[in-house]
Amino acid sequence: MSGAPASVEEVLERFRYRPDEEAPGLAELPSSSVAPDRPAGTDELQLLNFGLGPGEYAVALGTVTEILRARTLTEIPRARPPLLGVLNLRGTITPVYDPALRLGLPSTVPPCAGPGCERPPRPARILVVRTALGPAGLWVDRVRGVQRVAPGTLERPRGGPTGGVIGVLQAAEASVTVVDPEWLLR
Amino acid sequence: MSAQPQAVDVCAFWVGEAVYGIDVARVDEILPRVVPLPLAEAPPHVEGVVHVHGTAVPIVDLRRLLPAGSPPRTAKPKVILARIGRRRVGLRVDGMAGVRRYTVAEIRPGGGTPGVLAVTADECRLLDLRELLAKRAARAQPRL
Repeated sequence: MSGAPASVEEVLERFRYRPDEEAPGLAELPSSSVAPDRPAGTDELQLLNFGLGPGEYAVALGTVTEILRARTLTEIPRARPPLLGVLNLRGTITPVYDPALRLGLPSTVPPCAGPGCERPPRPARILVVRTALGPAGLWVDRVRGVQRVAPGTLERPRGGPTGGVIGVLQAAEASVTVVDPEWLLR
Repeated sequence: MSAQPQAVDVCAFWVGEAVYGIDVARVDEILPRVVPLPLAEAPPHVEGVVHVHGTAVPIVDLRRLLPAGSPPRTAKPKVILARIGRRRVGLRVDGMAGVRRYTVAEIRPGGGTPGVLAVTADECRLLDLRELLAKRAARAQPRL
């Protein structure tokens, strides 16, 4: 296994990546972070809080794969709101949408694609969510952080059309509306 | 990764005065700025761990494993998030040198330095990451 390789074939054999190769010399580390997704014995929800205009909203943390600093997007000709544009996420073309329109709010997104677009505001972020059709982005005005809540504190709607709202969390400073990202993209 | 088996795509980077390369299929991400959390009793080339998307990834300073030297002034230090088998490791390098494709004719086996498999026609040293890290791990075994 070690020593100088003799032929180009052996070089390529040892150079190429194989998912089943052994990984010697790497200290064994747990595969998850120090704080596991679900601490043992509790059933708490993790919510990612974000802001749209004056309102505070949240999605389940597990649905978000990545948070990007907002950047100028690639324009799609004749794209209609809520589609803002696309971005190249490490080789995957990812559409970015404006969630405010779906929630019936006025859009707060400045022109962010095509000629004459502005530099996005500093606190703006793009939440990359996993959907059945691949990743999609949601442009939000700011991201406040992750909040752990007990499921009982979430006030859930009682029947009827919910408009993508999973529940409302009453907090001291402001109430947080927990929404379904899949619904925002539908 | 590549359609033709006789060519190899290489992610090239600077460490010291030389350009080294690893298989692009290993590379997940290039991180610009990383502050690792130090690990107790880690070998000297392991800077610590960082959290990348919820996973703890060890950061290995390749500058301590490969010959020293001063990189070009334009090089910007980065951390390459690479895969070894099912594990991931962050490799601290002096700068990126792009993705290059080499044909078999351009690869000369042997490099003299441990962990270097071959040298290409334009002096890019192809690394055997597993050998490079495994040898160091054996040497870093604590003595009782």
